Amino acid sequence: MAVDIRLASTCVRLKPESIDELTNLVTPGDVITSDTGFMRGHGTFMEDGKHHASVAGVVQRVNKLICVKPLKTRYNGEVGDIVVGRIIEVGMKRWKVDTHSKLDSVLMLSSVNLPGGELRRRSEEDEKLMRYYLKEGDLISAEVQSVFNDGSLSLHTRSLKYGKLGQGSLYLVSPSLIKRRKTHFHNLPCGVTVILGNNGYVWVCPTEGEVSEQTGGYEQNFEPVVRADREVVARIGNCVQSLADHRMMLFDTSILYTYEASLKFPVKDMMKPEVKTEVIDLARQRLERDGT
Amino acid sequence: MAGIELLSDQGFRVDGRKANELRRIQCRLGVFTQADGSAYIEQGNTKILAAVYGPHEIRGSRSKALHDKVLVNCQYSMATFSTGERKRRPRGDRKSKEMTMHLQQTFDAAILTSLYPRSQIDIFVEVLQSDGGNYCASVNAATLALIDAGIPLKDYVCACSASFVNDKPIMDISYLEESSGGAELIVATLPKSEQIVFLEMNSRLHEDNLSHVLDMAVKGCKDIHDVLDQAVREHVGEVAAISGLE
Amino acid sequence: MVDVQLSDAEKTYIIHGAQDNLREDGRGCEDYRHLEIETSVVSTTSGSAKIRLANTEILVGVKVELGETSPENPDKGRIEFFVDCSANATPEFEGRGGEDLANEISNMLARAYDCPSCLDMRKLCVVEGKKCWIVYVDVLLLECGGSLFDASSIAVKAALYNTSIPRLTVTHDEGHTELELSDDPYDVQRLDVYNSPCIVTLSKIGHSHVVDASQKEEACCLARLMLAVTDKGCVTAMKKEGSGSFDVSSIEDMLETGKKVGQSLNKSLMEVLVSEDRNMKKKYMTGYLR
Repeated sequence: MAVDIRLASTCVRLKPESIDELTNLVTPGDVITSDTGFMRGHGTFMEDGKHHASVAGVVQRVNKLICVKPLKTRYNGEVGDIVVGRIIEVGMKRWKVDTHSKLDSVLMLSSVNLPGGELRRRSEEDEKLMRYYLKEGDLISAEVQSVFNDGSLSLHTRSLKYGKLGQGSLYLVSPSLIKRRKTHFHNLPCGVTVILGNNGYVWVCPTEGEVSEQTGGYEQNFEPVVRADREVVARIGNCVQSLADHRMMLFDTSILYTYEASLKFPVKDMMKPEVKTEVIDLARQRLERDGT
Repeated sequence: MAGIELLSDQGFRVDGRKANELRRIQCRLGVFTQADGSAYIEQGNTKILAAVYGPHEIRGSRSKALHDKVLVNCQYSMATFSTGERKRRPRGDRKSKEMTMHLQQTFDAAILTSLYPRSQIDIFVEVLQSDGGNYCASVNAATLALIDAGIPLKDYVCACSASFVNDKPIMDISYLEESSGGAELIVATLPKSEQIVFLEMNSRLHEDNLSHVLDMAVKGCKDIHDVLDQAVREHVGEVAAISGLE
Repeated sequence: MVDVQLSDAEKTYIIHGAQDNLREDGRGCEDYRHLEIETSVVSTTSGSAKIRLANTEILVGVKVELGETSPENPDKGRIEFFVDCSANATPEFEGRGGEDLANEISNMLARAYDCPSCLDMRKLCVVEGKKCWIVYVDVLLLECGGSLFDASSIAVKAALYNTSIPRLTVTHDEGHTELELSDDPYDVQRLDVYNSPCIVTLSKIGHSHVVDASQKEEACCLARLMLAVTDKGCVTAMKKEGSGSFDVSSIEDMLETGKKVGQSLNKSLMEVLVSEDRNMKKKYMTGYLR
């Protein structure tokens, strides 16, 4: 039994000592350039023949394209992104999926691998069984197949690595904290699988054997997870949460370093702010030494 | 006016400010984690929290969805302990319904609404402590929360009030000055383009003086813009430094 | 309660975790999350407190007003609770969306404090049969992260501790009673909250029960037992909530745990409050600016 009550005045938020004034920082309404040769990208708008910023952030120029990327937004999907999402509605031939986007995403019945794995025509029978495959509340990992005109996403799970997720924990972080990598599925050496969805949904679960991976996740395993695995999942989860609280980028190395730095504390102590700060500082120093 | 002298002969107001001086503004972005954007502002003794959710799928009846732009949904409420006399309910009274509507109109003008058709943006404002200028502080807090949520805006929206005392306009009036019965002019502007998006006047004021008072309020908005802009720059700089965003 | 949706597998994972005494964030079944507290945050009140329990954020303001005594209790003051679920916490609370939850919390708080030893209401009486102090306790819910009842009661206790009531001098003059307010703003009366209860909610998850359930855990829980426990371990109110059912033996177990946890909760809370009182002077950036 533990009760940990403190005064807010003893938990001081640390500010970094020196902040370099960013040179290309803009805030809404700022004029970026009056050169009309540039193309207008996200986070900008044209008025009186000038490019203005519409969000607060850093100006990015790619050739002739000007964008401003805000610190955090809802998820802006791009084709090929890996996302973790939750089914919110079962409809005709499609599931509605919450992916923390501006509009709900869609998973068509024709873009999933049905149990058995092989590709076959979707029959009327399959339509009736949709709720049996995926029902409201279920979590899936998927890839963005296309982006509709209004910005909503169409997903697919046509690969055995995607599909329904089993036992584990979901953590919600800001999408801008997920570092874009070649792979977003990581089997960490400590026996934990982490899926870093580009949409800021992070899935942590014990690494499973090869057998269950073949089924696309429709056969669910409700056997209790052993305590040791559970502890590692909790620790990785707390690491993800701490990194997000300190606004650090999430990728395999940063999670692993945080995990290793946290090993000297019991798992439940990791929620205390001073422990969090210490662990994150250690991880940060190690990342800086690596030069990443 | 009997009793208190709102502007002394030396040119000082009751709280020691000059006629063209704002109250001290302190603010912070990103107070909460669950909302998409949030901000807290203190203007003198007026303290306000704002939270922004969205843009997201329309909740409730889909018929509210606008096919060509985003639906801006606001709610203004005051904590029951925020005023000197205890309030009986936090919202739903005529005053706060009016405030809600005003906020909605103000931000409809400032948000680039055409970017997110069929979706909705929620702006919720909660007054924790009230000492005059509630609408102004609410607008300023909501602007910061929108910026924190990364929602595209034409410009900051800054609001400021002004009054007229002893033949002189005064800026950013407090509760005491508000309740003394003089004129009260509330203005919300887009400071860079000097466009007025909201204007309201209570009580009476001679026509000849209107332009002076209006100038004072617009000048106040500009000053507030400088303070808010500084805060946003510091916030963005700090976060970018930590997470190494390029 | 504020709903979050979970898949069956996630629920299974959480239920088995509670059985193993190892929850999702590494806590044991009887552990509270980290709690931060601050008093005197709103200057328009007689006393206020703000607490943060993981993601749950609550602000409580206490206002005292002079009012008429009630005919049933002519020698006592009154305490009234009001809870407001701000839409800042979740868009679901917009308009009247949070009212049901708000009523539930305020009823539970009123029940917890409806006990003569919790708070001495006679001290709030000014003129017997005529005037008394009415203590309005207003709870504002600003962010939801589970365990709202527990957090509200802790914040209420802290705010009551922080409350100061102006001292009145009563003079009787030929049948008239005159009240005179002390000129000195520091000449105040404090409330004795030493015996005030804190609510401990025990959520039944699978076959075990946990304290301080997170939002996800609340989604897995079919029934919970709320206990208002004082410093000495007395239970002043008890309520079963939710669609599930308990058997008698599990209620006994929960009562045992609740009393134990409640006592240590009260103890650490009082320690912190007393220490804040002592260090009143060294305050830096506070409230939401920090």
